[in-house]
Amino acid sequence: MAETKINIGPVHPSTHGVLRLVVTLDGDTVKHVEPHIGFLHRGVEKLVETRMYMQSPSYMEKLDYVAPISYDEAFVATVEAALGIEVKERAQYIRVIQLELQRIASHLLWLGTAINDVGQLFSVFMWCFKDRDIILRLLEEATGGRMFYVNMRLGGLNRDLSPGFANHAYKVLDYLEHRIKEYGSYLESNPVFMERMKNIGVMSKAEAISMGVTGPTLRGSGIDFDIRANYPYYVYDKLRFRTQFENGGDCFARYKVRMDEMQESIRLVRECLHTIPEGDAIGMPIRLIGPQPKEKEVVVKRELPRGEVMMYMVAEGQRPYRFSIRAPSFINTSVLQHLPRGHRLQDLFPILASVDTVLADVDR
Amino acid sequence: MDSLITTMGIKIASAIQGVLGIAQSAAINYGIAALLVGIAVMIIVTIFDYLFGWIERKLVAKIHLRHGPTRVGKYGLLQNAADFLKLFAKENIIPANANRLLFLGSLPIVAAIFALSAEVLPLTPSFYGVDLTLGLLIVFVLISFVPILIFIAGWASGNKFASISAQRSVMMLISYEIPLFIVIASVAMLAKSFSFISIVSAQSSLWYVALMPLGFVVFFIALLAELERPPFDLREADSELIAGWLTDVGAPLYAIALFIDYTRVFVGSMLIVLLFFGGWNGPYLPPSVWLAIKVLAVAIFVVIVRATTPRMRLDRILRLGWIWLVPLSIINLLWVFLLAIAVV
Repeated sequence: MAETKINIGPVHPSTHGVLRLVVTLDGDTVKHVEPHIGFLHRGVEKLVETRMYMQSPSYMEKLDYVAPISYDEAFVATVEAALGIEVKERAQYIRVIQLELQRIASHLLWLGTAINDVGQLFSVFMWCFKDRDIILRLLEEATGGRMFYVNMRLGGLNRDLSPGFANHAYKVLDYLEHRIKEYGSYLESNPVFMERMKNIGVMSKAEAISMGVTGPTLRGSGIDFDIRANYPYYVYDKLRFRTQFENGGDCFARYKVRMDEMQESIRLVRECLHTIPEGDAIGMPIRLIGPQPKEKEVVVKRELPRGEVMMYMVAEGQRPYRFSIRAPSFINTSVLQHLPRGHRLQDLFPILASVDTVLADVDR
Repeated sequence: MDSLITTMGIKIASAIQGVLGIAQSAAINYGIAALLVGIAVMIIVTIFDYLFGWIERKLVAKIHLRHGPTRVGKYGLLQNAADFLKLFAKENIIPANANRLLFLGSLPIVAAIFALSAEVLPLTPSFYGVDLTLGLLIVFVLISFVPILIFIAGWASGNKFASISAQRSVMMLISYEIPLFIVIASVAMLAKSFSFISIVSAQSSLWYVALMPLGFVVFFIALLAELERPPFDLREADSELIAGWLTDVGAPLYAIALFIDYTRVFVGSMLIVLLFFGGWNGPYLPPSVWLAIKVLAVAIFVVIVRATTPRMRLDRILRLGWIWLVPLSIINLLWVFLLAIAVV
């Protein structure tokens, strides 16, 4: 049969953004996939170089609109490293709480959209969005923002946790723990779901390392690597944190890693809420920033829900001279060239979903 | 056997002829009566479609933890009417590289096929158009045309997604059609007739679902595939093929597609009820009420299946058809054969 070329995206129900895949099909078999990116390029890195340090966090949040706090925190941490500012201890705990809550929210959104891509199971999508909304409300209570928070300040936070936050959070965590377990058992007992995910898009350990993927996509290939454990920041080394990884390397393994990570994040937030010290957590107000950078060139690594982000900044005076981001989604998207090859057209979508890219992050 | 509606139809027809002053003729009387019954059945089908559309939206919304339509009419009951009005008010866009005749023609033909098969189905022991001796066979022959028409429609629209969907349609055809027909053969064997009325009256004491549960399961799965319902909705796979063979159709044609969507659920639920759940048989309530209850129950079950199962993969459907459904339907046929011998 003759080869067919089809365009999946930039406007397509399951590309979640403006990813365009040019797929060459031989009958029903995928022969070649070519991802085209750049539809959402805004030049954020250059934009940051024209602004004072603390004017940029709100741009950073829009890079990954599914997990804004994580990007916000990574950028503020980069500036803190450049200016040589220590983060207050209570603020460290609160940052970890917020990062982990954000991770659960992000993975829940991923779960919903991925299941919808796998097999039109819109019910799970709606349930996950409802649960994610509960976390967003919790974060709103903590930060004041619903979707974009801009809560990180140099050396601390804009707002301390509200007095009733811990109680509220415990309730939400109990509920979520139960719900996520339920989704897991519901999906994993479904034979159709299992056969759509098992042995699809297998990525070996060596492949995963050579393609430079990070985050759950890497850990799904059986590699025990997580910045939070291997290069711990804040209080992660004080917490009992276990890296979640699976050996399968297929879509199901990547799904399982994210499900386990949600449970792990719930444990982490609980532990932080138990051990959080009293004290001050408020950071420097934005208008007071004026000190000269101590270090000229800094690199900060963080584990985002989608993988490892690395921020490189050459600080000079009141604004960065050079700023660059190694975006996790960008590197992970490159995998789409290799993984679907030889699979059926229908398997392309679970693979696309299991890599979990956010296009704003890819294009920057 | 003249049904009540047919005799009434003939009376009305002769009255019309009397008013118009035409000479009485049995053939013309029968023609007018058939037309009247046809219109009555179409009204019932439309009412079912409308109600089912609302039930599906509301029920799926409840499973999704949403509200569903609430604004137009009480409980959103008029939402579907509003949608149909909107769709018909829009421009019908025909893609430049589409084959106009086939593209515009195939969808109405599919709609007509489902409407025609609804006409053959009896609604109560005394309310039906014609009691054909081969009614069962005719319905399935009509429905079997649909995948081919869908193939033509997909091909004619000149869209790549539509043509992939068309290919899937034919691929699926070979996986579910055979078990479906084998089960129909076993039903006909058990009832010793292809007429729906005889099949239903044969079930007056015991429903066929109790006599051949295996056959029912095979039939239900194969019928879901035949009706293009999830988890076998590969032709319209939203997250893959955008809208499959409907990707390029304009709004008015899409309204017809919606009509097809609901009518085929009516035909499918009717078939299941007539062949396996004793049709209108039931105590106390009148037959038409029993039939309505059973058909709605089956339709609701079809909606619940839609909201709780992910879509299957094409090659897995082929495997399911050939490794499971075909052998199981043959086992069912043998079982029915033994039953028939035992009864005789």
